[in-house]
Amino acid sequence: MSVGLDKRPNPAFYALLVALILMSAGPIAVMIITSLKLNVDIMSETAGLLFVPTVQNYETALCNMLWYEPAHVDYCDPTFGRALVNSLIIAIVSTAITLVIGCMAAYALVRFRFLGRDAMSMTTLLMRMVPPAVLLVPVFGIWTFQFGIDGTRSGIILVYVAMNLPFVIWILQSFIVQVPIQLEEAARMDGAGPLQTFFLVVLPVIKPGLAAAAIFTFRIAWNEFLLANALSDRSSRTVPVTIVNSLTEYDIDWGVIMATGTLLAIPPIIFTFIASRQIITGMTAGAVKG
Amino acid sequence: MPEIRLDGLKKAYGHVTVIEDLNLQMEDSEFTVLVGPSGCGKSTTLRMIAGLETVSGGAILIDGKDVSQLEPKDRDLAMVFQDYALYPHMNVARNMSFALRLARYPKAEIDDRVKKVAAMLDLSPYLDRKPGELSGGQRQRVAMGRALVRDASTFLFDEPLSNLDAKLRGQMRAELALMRQRIRKNMIYVTHDQIEAMTLGDRIVVMRQGKIMQAGSPEDLYGQPQNMFVAGFIGSPPMNFLPVEVGDENGRITLVGSDLQLALSNAVAARLANHKSRSIILGVRPSHFIRDDAGSIDLQIALSEYIGAQSVLTSELCGRPVHVEVSALKPVRAGEQLRFSLNPDTIHLFDPETEAAL
Repeated sequence: MSVGLDKRPNPAFYALLVALILMSAGPIAVMIITSLKLNVDIMSETAGLLFVPTVQNYETALCNMLWYEPAHVDYCDPTFGRALVNSLIIAIVSTAITLVIGCMAAYALVRFRFLGRDAMSMTTLLMRMVPPAVLLVPVFGIWTFQFGIDGTRSGIILVYVAMNLPFVIWILQSFIVQVPIQLEEAARMDGAGPLQTFFLVVLPVIKPGLAAAAIFTFRIAWNEFLLANALSDRSSRTVPVTIVNSLTEYDIDWGVIMATGTLLAIPPIIFTFIASRQIITGMTAGAVKG
Repeated sequence: MPEIRLDGLKKAYGHVTVIEDLNLQMEDSEFTVLVGPSGCGKSTTLRMIAGLETVSGGAILIDGKDVSQLEPKDRDLAMVFQDYALYPHMNVARNMSFALRLARYPKAEIDDRVKKVAAMLDLSPYLDRKPGELSGGQRQRVAMGRALVRDASTFLFDEPLSNLDAKLRGQMRAELALMRQRIRKNMIYVTHDQIEAMTLGDRIVVMRQGKIMQAGSPEDLYGQPQNMFVAGFIGSPPMNFLPVEVGDENGRITLVGSDLQLALSNAVAARLANHKSRSIILGVRPSHFIRDDAGSIDLQIALSEYIGAQSVLTSELCGRPVHVEVSALKPVRAGEQLRFSLNPDTIHLFDPETEAAL
């Protein structure tokens, strides 16, 4: 080994690394640990890492979805279970709709020549530059008084699709540009119509792009609070809104809130894990001479 | 198998006309090669026949039916692309069967055809592999297999060998020629490589700037080029062009250059009846110089390139650089002075203004 490479990094470098890890992983650790404690332990002055772990908080949060009745629950509040179902439906459906519309729009923007193509491409990105908070009041007004879809899941899905579509179009455009045009020509020669070419040749090749866009869209839809808070009602509330709503001036059940937070973190992790397996590089390897 | 006819075919991009008034007839089961330098419109012509480019004017007739407005899939053509264009997410078998699956052939027949073609192209062991796991030559064979499986009436090849290295190209060229003997179908092949054109084509169409310079058998093009472009394009090393005057020596027509004097035979001289005492271009193939110690052409060799059986010598004649091909049995060194003669029946004559053969 050469002498130059033997230089040891500064200890401050390790200190910085540890600080960064603590900053990012610390809150998650606190959340998980707290979710496993009874309120007595959470509030006690001597609280620390020494406690008897319990799943009581999880039982409380999921009480209406369990096959048994937990002994410690006096009154089963179905709010969280309902919110979890809402969140899953809204995130999955809005992701699916965004991807379907997004990939077709991106394909059209890349491959078709029409008047105002570049302007349209740019406008889609400009939309994304508007902060959601700015949209809040007009969207609430339109959704409530014109469309009458406030307080419904489809209302929230619609606004998420509108919000995520521009960015998905932009991500997918960059992937579609890389698909060699000869592949599409070969498909046409092989007898494929425009839709067959798109679905059987282009889409499989841009699968990594679709996966990246899906992760992005799903996470935004899953975590979004502001618009969901304004547009949802009791029956269509998503998990982030539910968690905030459970912070009342009479009672803050930290254990249940942390258990809910932990449960909230699981679906995006699973989704990201599944989707990221599709993100493999070199998808077009061997298609055309590089 | 159909007869393909191009009738006044035209292609323009905006104001730029790439191909103007192209007329060509390809006979039943003929191997036609379109050849020419880059940008001569040969690929565009092929893509118009394929239906991948729109036609700006004229017609493409297959068996008398105008197909110029039809979609590619309705023309019954199969095409092999220059850079393979294999579907990267499908394995070899699925790549080859894509067209058949789209056409909803029964599964048993698809398997049968794929197996047959794969065996013919030595691809049987690779049917489960993805294109990314194949070498360049194997990918090229898959691209060909994809066209062959379809059993289309006409095959189009767009410079299929240009991405391969020299050795593989020679091997694939031979395989193509063998395949050609087994499959008697219309084939249209585009290349810029005149050796490929000569070895594969029943008929060669030499193109330049969107126009056909000459169409004919390889022997025709080599033996009787109709103009200087074809003469210079076909043959390697290319033909030498020397400026000479038509002179008359004691009633015998003679070509006179600055350091060259060549008496012509009567047959050749008859062609020059209208060109007496005018300048013309003399074309001589490098291999037509005959080493002859009694010859009248005296060449100072500037460069001798040994290429195996032959040596290519570079010298100067009539103020122009000339290439001479001689047998390498007698080694020649640069700086030597050698004498050559010419057989007047092997020369070519061109009009310097129209560049047409005389």
